[in-house]
Amino acid sequence: MSAYIDQFPAEAKVIRSAFYTSFIALALGAAFGLIQTLHRTDIVRVIPSEMYYTVLTAHGVLLVVTFTIFFLVAIFTWAVTTSLDRGVEDIRFTWSWYVLMSLGTLFAAVAILAGFTDRTEMSADVLFTFYAPLQAHPIFYIGLVLFVIGTWLAGADWFRSWWAWKQENPDERIPLPTFMVLTTMIMWYLATLGVATSIIVFLIPWSLGLIDTVNPTLTRTLFWFWGHPVVYFWLMPAYMMWYVMLPKFSGGRLFSDPLARVVFVLFLLLSTPVGIHHQYLDPGIAEGFKFIAMTNTMFLLLPSLLTAFTVVASMEHGARQRGGEGYFGWLGALPWRDPVFAGMALAGLMFAAGGFSGMINAGMNINYLVHNSLWVPGHFHLTVGTAVALTFMAVSYHFIPQVTGRRLASKQIALFQVVLWFIGMTFMSNAMHRGGLLGMPRRTAEPEYDFPFETAIGTVGELNAQIALGGVLLTLSTVLFVANMLITALNDPADDLPSNTIPEPLSGSEDAPLVLDNLKLWTAIAVVLVIFAYSLPLGSIVERGGLFGPGGDAFPMFIEFVEGTVFGLTGDSVSSLVNSPLEWLRAMR
Amino acid sequence: MNIHSYEKVWLIAAMLLIVGFIATITYGSVALGITMVDDSEETIDPNALEEHERFGDLGVHQTDSDEYDVHVRAYQFNFEPGSSALGTHDPIVIPQGSEVTFYVTSPDVIHSFSLVGTNVNTMVVPGEISTMTAEFDEAREYGVVCNEYCGSGHHGMEGLVKVVPEDEFHLFSVADVDAPESIEAGEETELTATIDNDALQTEAATVTLEIGDEQFDTDVEVDAEASAEATFTVDTSDLDLEDADDLDWTVTVEADSPATLEDGSTSGTIDLETDEDDEEADDEDDEADDEDDDPNDDDESTGDDE
Repeated sequence: MSAYIDQFPAEAKVIRSAFYTSFIALALGAAFGLIQTLHRTDIVRVIPSEMYYTVLTAHGVLLVVTFTIFFLVAIFTWAVTTSLDRGVEDIRFTWSWYVLMSLGTLFAAVAILAGFTDRTEMSADVLFTFYAPLQAHPIFYIGLVLFVIGTWLAGADWFRSWWAWKQENPDERIPLPTFMVLTTMIMWYLATLGVATSIIVFLIPWSLGLIDTVNPTLTRTLFWFWGHPVVYFWLMPAYMMWYVMLPKFSGGRLFSDPLARVVFVLFLLLSTPVGIHHQYLDPGIAEGFKFIAMTNTMFLLLPSLLTAFTVVASMEHGARQRGGEGYFGWLGALPWRDPVFAGMALAGLMFAAGGFSGMINAGMNINYLVHNSLWVPGHFHLTVGTAVALTFMAVSYHFIPQVTGRRLASKQIALFQVVLWFIGMTFMSNAMHRGGLLGMPRRTAEPEYDFPFETAIGTVGELNAQIALGGVLLTLSTVLFVANMLITALNDPADDLPSNTIPEPLSGSEDAPLVLDNLKLWTAIAVVLVIFAYSLPLGSIVERGGLFGPGGDAFPMFIEFVEGTVFGLTGDSVSSLVNSPLEWLRAMR
Repeated sequence: MNIHSYEKVWLIAAMLLIVGFIATITYGSVALGITMVDDSEETIDPNALEEHERFGDLGVHQTDSDEYDVHVRAYQFNFEPGSSALGTHDPIVIPQGSEVTFYVTSPDVIHSFSLVGTNVNTMVVPGEISTMTAEFDEAREYGVVCNEYCGSGHHGMEGLVKVVPEDEFHLFSVADVDAPESIEAGEETELTATIDNDALQTEAATVTLEIGDEQFDTDVEVDAEASAEATFTVDTSDLDLEDADDLDWTVTVEADSPATLEDGSTSGTIDLETDEDDEEADDEDDEADDEDDDPNDDDESTGDDE
């Protein structure tokens, strides 16, 4: 019965460092967010509009790459060590991936922030998506690669722990938290192949001037090969917290271990072969491939819908343990004054809303109306910006004392902070969704045009006011969070910390079929699904535009794509196989 | 595996929801005919758009009685045609009740071509041609935005689509105006305008000449995809010349139509010779006029190409 720092002092130090790095990224990212929200709503413009895109790049990269991923490597390390009840195999290796990830972040951040000054040619105003032919300085791309390699090594570290544990416990089921980490990491290895290929094979040589052109559709497709699963990489640690920690803070136990395993296996299988749903409106990709991606995406709703059930059921169980009664009366028995619980529950609630707007994005025909409109950032500020970020902030109030051994500075401010985030995001994201329906574009410094946006209810001024107000509240919330963390880190040691335990689920791993733990099988199926979903579209993109784009003057041509024709032809036939029933039905009318 | 009965119900409901979504999308795709932007067009060399049959000939083209193709070049940070706010290019003008197919491509980076508040919305990727077909039943204006970040001037990339009543729509342009370079004040002179009709049907054009402070109208029938000439005879003694050195003229086709574009109008200047003029002054005037004329000539020639 002891806190994490007492059990694993060396690991606690790495985890602490990763948490602090993520908080620095959060603070910077939030500051940039404030500049943006006031700039695009034309409340206060402190920077020239050209610089808005430097701010936007920094906001995106620091928050969705640095903040989220540093945070998740921290809790994954916590989850593996706690659930296997063993330290990492070699703490120097653990430090090495932390250092590599930090170095990568530093490189990319230097390239981005150099955009603020004219003293250097360096810049990376390419936004989080870095779509070619927009080109960043090479160290931006090199930084991203170092960062991704760091995460690969982190995954290797956790697999190593598991293998070592398995030698000693050959007949035991993989503990649920470790199972979640391993399945998530397999998904990550698979997904990062896309972005790593795009950066290493094309963008770095291109930014160094070794090749003249790239194929914009190809690099874009490889980006989204990774760009959708990365959202599950952010989300899986939040899900893990909802599965293993939320029941604990509700006063109960997880409803079902087998279902939790099923959910993570489904995410492993379905997260990657869906990326083309970000490219519904891309020319150069056949309709059939888009239809396949849409179908896969819809099935990807299943694990999230299952999660909604399990999480609510676990909360209800906890509430009834605490004396809650009635159909809905049990809600009142939940520990709403605990910032850890309240933050996670509010995050889950907002995820439900974000999930619904996501279902709309996934519908490929209605996507015409909302694609690249303000609706989209409205959507992902609910998902990554609340379901993930608010869950992370809430559990920090539990984890930081655990890994520092120090007392949380203020529980009241913590509770106020999570509620403030919820309120701020309610204003900002609902207005963003509505603005998107009017056709307001995302990613623009000045959404003011010569023509008016037609509103059905309210006015553009009112939407802007809500976005700005929400953004200010969110910034305030971040300031309170970071200050609370800072004071906690410097606070007195606590000697009454709760012990670092994960309660057993109601329906335990003994109910889960053994096949669920067969990681090789799931990896193989995931690979096959990715090959199905991607080899033909990628082949046909290369066939159409060439590896280095229709510009044609690529140099040097160090890869001859001999299979091009084969892929192109098979791709056409598969796409038309899907398409011909559609065409036939259309003709019937 | 032990699944709680409530959980089974939930699982079935979730599956029904998913299948329902896929069914509605398939319905939209099949029954309502909402097709995706796709790979039906050949790729294009982004550095050689002007050699392409469509993008060497930007603008609105009639393909059938109520069907039009619009060829648009989306580049940093304008639509050509479309970006008319600062007078950079013409707006896109199409007739009410028409079915319009947009062909859009980019010579530089990724853009979008999005009619605000509608489902005409597509990415524009260099090397690829995006096509979208839409029906325009209402006479009104639509804003066009680029909704993909395309560089530091991205927020200024906007355009306009004007849907005009059918009877106010035309595809006339002033191809050429034959006017004398100089005349003697008080003389009678003749200007001949060549009017092109790119429409697929014969239409009557009202051609207007503004010269000095007088205005003359004449009607001319122009065959489908052909040209016709409109001739104006002007007696300069009727004009109030005062002591002017030269005479400005403008020929416009369908001046009152909202569809009249930059190439629907051509201007020039006629020198007025008077006895007192000395040679040198004339030369200077000529040079100055040439400079004035040059940009106009350029405009005309680009206009003709379109």
